[in-house]
Amino acid sequence: MKPDGIYLAGVNKIYKGRSKTVEALKDVSLSCPTSSFTALIGPSGCGKSTLMRIALGLETPDSGKVLLEGVTPAEATKIGKIGIAFQDAALLPWRSVRRNIEVPLNVLRKPIKDYTAKIQEMINLVGLNGFEDSLPGELSGGMRQRVSIARALVTTPKVLLMDEPFGALDQILRRQMNVELQRIWDETKATTLLVTHGIDEAIFLSDRVAIMHANPGKIVDIIDIPFERPRKMSLFSDTSFHKLSIQIAEILHGQ
Amino acid sequence: MVNEPSNSKTMYRNLILLVLLWEVVGRLDLVAGGALPSLSEIIIRMWIDRHDYPLHIGSTLYASSAGFLIGNILGVCAGVLFVLYPMTLRLSRGFNIAIFSLPPIAIAPILVITLSGMAPRIVLATMGVYFITMTATVVGLSQADSRTSELIRAYGGNKLQILRLVQFRSAIPSILAGFRIAAPNAVLGAILAEFGGGGRWGLGTYLLGSLGRGEPDRLWGIGLMATLISGASYFLFVVISNRFLKGSTSITLNTAIPTDITKNEHVLKTFFITMGAIFLPISIWWALIFFSGLPSMIAKTPWGVVEYLFFSNMAEAAQGRLVAAIAETLPITFIGMTAGLLFAFLLAIFSSLYFQVIRAFMPIALITQTMPLVALTPLLVLILGRGNSLTLWVTISVTFFPAFVTLTQGILLVPSLAKDLPKAYGGSKWQELIIVTIPASLPYLFAATRLTVPRALLGVMIAEWLATGKGLGNLLNQSRGYLDYGMIWTVAAVSVLLSIIFYQLVVYTERKVLGKLGMKTAE
Repeated sequence: MKPDGIYLAGVNKIYKGRSKTVEALKDVSLSCPTSSFTALIGPSGCGKSTLMRIALGLETPDSGKVLLEGVTPAEATKIGKIGIAFQDAALLPWRSVRRNIEVPLNVLRKPIKDYTAKIQEMINLVGLNGFEDSLPGELSGGMRQRVSIARALVTTPKVLLMDEPFGALDQILRRQMNVELQRIWDETKATTLLVTHGIDEAIFLSDRVAIMHANPGKIVDIIDIPFERPRKMSLFSDTSFHKLSIQIAEILHGQ
Repeated sequence: MVNEPSNSKTMYRNLILLVLLWEVVGRLDLVAGGALPSLSEIIIRMWIDRHDYPLHIGSTLYASSAGFLIGNILGVCAGVLFVLYPMTLRLSRGFNIAIFSLPPIAIAPILVITLSGMAPRIVLATMGVYFITMTATVVGLSQADSRTSELIRAYGGNKLQILRLVQFRSAIPSILAGFRIAAPNAVLGAILAEFGGGGRWGLGTYLLGSLGRGEPDRLWGIGLMATLISGASYFLFVVISNRFLKGSTSITLNTAIPTDITKNEHVLKTFFITMGAIFLPISIWWALIFFSGLPSMIAKTPWGVVEYLFFSNMAEAAQGRLVAAIAETLPITFIGMTAGLLFAFLLAIFSSLYFQVIRAFMPIALITQTMPLVALTPLLVLILGRGNSLTLWVTISVTFFPAFVTLTQGILLVPSLAKDLPKAYGGSKWQELIIVTIPASLPYLFAATRLTVPRALLGVMIAEWLATGKGLGNLLNQSRGYLDYGMIWTVAAVSVLLSIIFYQLVVYTERKVLGKLGMKTAE
């Protein structure tokens, strides 16, 4: 059997502060089949970013198992199987759009000249042609975020991990970016985990929404999203969309 | 802030007025019977002395450039090492504080005894540069966007890749700012070494040599030249950094909090690191003496100093002289520093109410930052004579200006929204001051104190050495004359120790107070 794109089993993580200990994650298990889109939603401090950091290998869990495409996060990142996008584009201000997209290739020590076509393809995909040589300071917030998505995709990742990639954008821009992300994802079919605290964004983009509670941080429910793809902007105002939003909000608030 | 055209116009107008006033006062010999000559008189004298200048200037420039170069190389390398391996930063803490807070004049005689030729001057200039560049490098490297660093890490990048791809490039503005401040400091270091160590050439030597001859116009000419050189070195780097830094300022605010490495550390480990930090400078001292191969009669080890002060046959006399000197030096250091700080604090607060004051006064205060203020003590001797008031004024002037700049810049950083809050409720300017500005400027008051503690002691010791014939500065100068090597080393060690203790006291109080108020220390 093919291994899951993202596989987390019995993950625990405790932070010891000066006066109290925080159970950031308690017995969290989640498996995302290959080429599926999963959204992880929860209140602030529920441990969703910790979960993401553990999946990225930036932090190690106290116990539990994490596999990406059947290998550990450290191995998966080393061979360039992972694409990463953070909240706030996190671009290097002195590098042009093109050179920012090259950063993962620099780290993975891949020769840039083999990737010239790929980089241009990514720039076209996120709709930034003509801005290849612009510096991040000359771009709008939405354009910077698109650069970070192109950067996440440049290694042709099998697994895409995104931590509130549109958290810093306004509602209008965010919805446009959601439509674009869906189109891009549809073309790449990478197994995707999206951390967000926007219910509508989670429903619109994903196949399944995993809902977390805080103290201790755990997944309380996983809701399947039935809507057909490709989903259109009009879905945001659909009645069934609203029903699902209310259902998820109720689970979030623990009713 | 001062770059708007209308501002620079007022600035030039004020400057011209100042020069005119100076001319009138100088020509009429209004200050201390002609101790302040007019600018034209000074320039005429400089023209007469024009054949003396090149060699003196060349000598000072040589020592300060060499020190600047070596100090920057050491500072950048040390900064990179400290960021890559934070343990080394903690181990070097004692060494770094010692370098920062020691009064250069105190160790100048030691350098003259142990080294020869230009070396003492270069070492002192290097020391003036090292700390500034090292701090700038550490701050620059560690303030690099932690999100981009994480991105590199998430792709499996190591420390060196983060350094190469993210940190080093983003630290360049900070490092260049460090160079800018370090350049005048190198000049100051070289001049102080010239004060403390004889030699034939150098602006410091020239200044001292002319002090006894009572020629105000020549003294002012030399002072002006020293100021010009150190100011020019500062503005050279202003130009370079303006050239270099176009289009690479950060775009968004990095809100991530750097992780605290001392968390969950074993008590014993902390203890050993602290011990290491204390003993590192002492072992460096020991090692330097050992490898220099100088006779123990001249070059004293730490133990040699203890022996001299407590176990030798002149221990009692030595202790007596030392205690008497400290008793003279400390009170005036405190008074001068407190007065300088208080004056700076009041003026900074006051000018936050009346923005015009900042506009008029800030350019002057900024210019003083590039002046070798302590090195101009001989000029003050002309005006104030050789009494206690001289010491006091030297100390106040070396504390006031840096404190004022730090405080004003801190107050300018107070978010205007926070200031608008009392205004929105109909509060007066005074209420805004009491509720927002004063508490918000507290971290900067501490930062200013940290900055000025060592300078105050340096100012006092210079005044004592050159003019008043009292306290530690004088004891050092006398011992130099008597070839009392034990006392030279003792005074040097004691003054370094004193400045470290004061510095640590300020840091301790700062942590306590700001911790209680939930504030962060200002860099």
